[in-house]
Amino acid sequence: GDWALEGALQLQIINFNFEVVQVTWNASKFSGTNLTFLYKLSSDKTSSQCSNYIFQQSHTAGCLLEAKKDEILCFSIKNETHLLLTKCQWISAYLKPSSPKDLNFQWHQEAITVTCSDLPYKRLLYEIQYKSMFDTEWQSKEGETCNVTTDGLDAEKCYFFRARVKTMESSYGPDTYPSDWSEVTHQQRGELRDSCQERKLFPKFILIS
Amino acid sequence: GESGYAQNGEFEDAELDDYSFSCYSQLEVDGTQHLLTCAFDDPDVNSTNLEFEICGALLNVKCLTFDKLQEMYFIKTKKFLLIGDSEIHVKLGGKNITSKKLNIVEIVKPEAPFDIRVIYRKGANDFLVTFNTSHSQKKYVKELMHEVAYRQEKNENDWMHVNLSSTKLTLLQRKLQPDAMYEIKVRSIPNANYFQGFWSEWSPTFHFRTPEITGRMDP
Amino acid sequence: YNFTDCDFEKIRKKYQEVIYQALEKYMNGIKSTEFNNPIYCEDPPDCLTKIERITFYPTHGCTSLAKEIFAVGTNAALTLQCPGYSGMQINNTQAKKKRKKREVTTNKCRKQVAYLIELWRRFSRIS
Repeated sequence: GDWALEGALQLQIINFNFEVVQVTWNASKFSGTNLTFLYKLSSDKTSSQCSNYIFQQSHTAGCLLEAKKDEILCFSIKNETHLLLTKCQWISAYLKPSSPKDLNFQWHQEAITVTCSDLPYKRLLYEIQYKSMFDTEWQSKEGETCNVTTDGLDAEKCYFFRARVKTMESSYGPDTYPSDWSEVTHQQRGELRDSCQERKLFPKFILIS
Repeated sequence: GESGYAQNGEFEDAELDDYSFSCYSQLEVDGTQHLLTCAFDDPDVNSTNLEFEICGALLNVKCLTFDKLQEMYFIKTKKFLLIGDSEIHVKLGGKNITSKKLNIVEIVKPEAPFDIRVIYRKGANDFLVTFNTSHSQKKYVKELMHEVAYRQEKNENDWMHVNLSSTKLTLLQRKLQPDAMYEIKVRSIPNANYFQGFWSEWSPTFHFRTPEITGRMDP
Repeated sequence: YNFTDCDFEKIRKKYQEVIYQALEKYMNGIKSTEFNNPIYCEDPPDCLTKIERITFYPTHGCTSLAKEIFAVGTNAALTLQCPGYSGMQINNTQAKKKRKKREVTTNKCRKQVAYLIELWRRFSRIS
């Protein structure tokens, strides 16, 4: 059925921040023919053919279509003679939020509050990761809005910070994508730094007990 | 009159002893099984022949009867619906003595954290404290607030407290006494606005000694 | 019943914390996106109307969802948070008989539950 064809076509759907939906396929198993993409969003009156194909080795390999809101996308993929696949899904199921911008940092004693502008849709998790030069791994803190406070920091140390946005599985399902990480920023003594010198430390860890 | 019941099984009105009781729930404490534990607030209550029963907000049944172990009454079950209120009844010979309405998701007592460790990081001039919690693998009460408490062993009541939602914390060397013996422990409380409740028991205590010399940290 | 006056926020929390787990358990690892043609719902009342219909009213090939754990939870949530909603009379005592006697989870039922999952997700995104 459709499921098998979906596998053969290596279908992938990405909803970029409810702005553009990208549907891609691999037509190599269909002797390199030009597959046709027809679609209809639930707010559209009629179906339309893709007006913005993605090409690979001069054959259609995907379609970029404008998304306006959280709705259901129905589409079909055909070759010259046969209907290969039809599919209808909420485009939210394949959401990739845009990454956080204009991160703002506010120090208060040994805590820092990281804020940025919330995206215009709900049930997201804003993840802030941070580490000092002495930490080998990032530490994570999440919030349902982009206002996340992390405490227990040492103002004297230099810290790396980065942020991204994830979706709540109970609201979007398991097939979404986390946003790309924001740029890494560096903070020490409450001020922005150009960098934290990476120290190749031989970790002197002494387990005391 | 004397509380008790007559020979022929008729029940004299039990003297109005204080049968107030308290309960707490532990969800997914044994796989998918939940545990509800209740006990009389007054330890001197004569609980012989007294039974506990829960009704309402249950799956497939109207009521469940508690088991009893010494002075504790408990139910281990998967049948809590976790939506809506239940009624807990205290019964003597089938007759209701007292009842109380409660909501299983609002009386959650998490399991105590464990495996607390302290690692001294010489280069960073700090102590990395880590601990573990069984709740990170659970489906329901996943979000906890933890409270770490530490003190110098010789200072009886001088506990320092730090609240955190992660299971990793750093204590700055410059804030501790050099060459001193410290003890540290941690407990947890539900931190989501759906599941609420009480502090867990404290974790076992971990002891550590701070180094003698407090060197300056290289920038 | 018109679901306009329900407390959508409280229903959403009960969905996210409890009903969601029961729906996932019912699907037993099968993704709702494996079923085509999800049902659209416009706003929270519309979503709850369609959730109630699929959950409690039998359809051809799937007559028994009302006794499932997620249905008992849905009934409790709507009864608690929707003024005047009297709830479905699920004969609680004979609900969910032993697996042998209970109707095997048909694919038609999984399709219905896939619709429910998508409707609940939509509801939680917009309320």
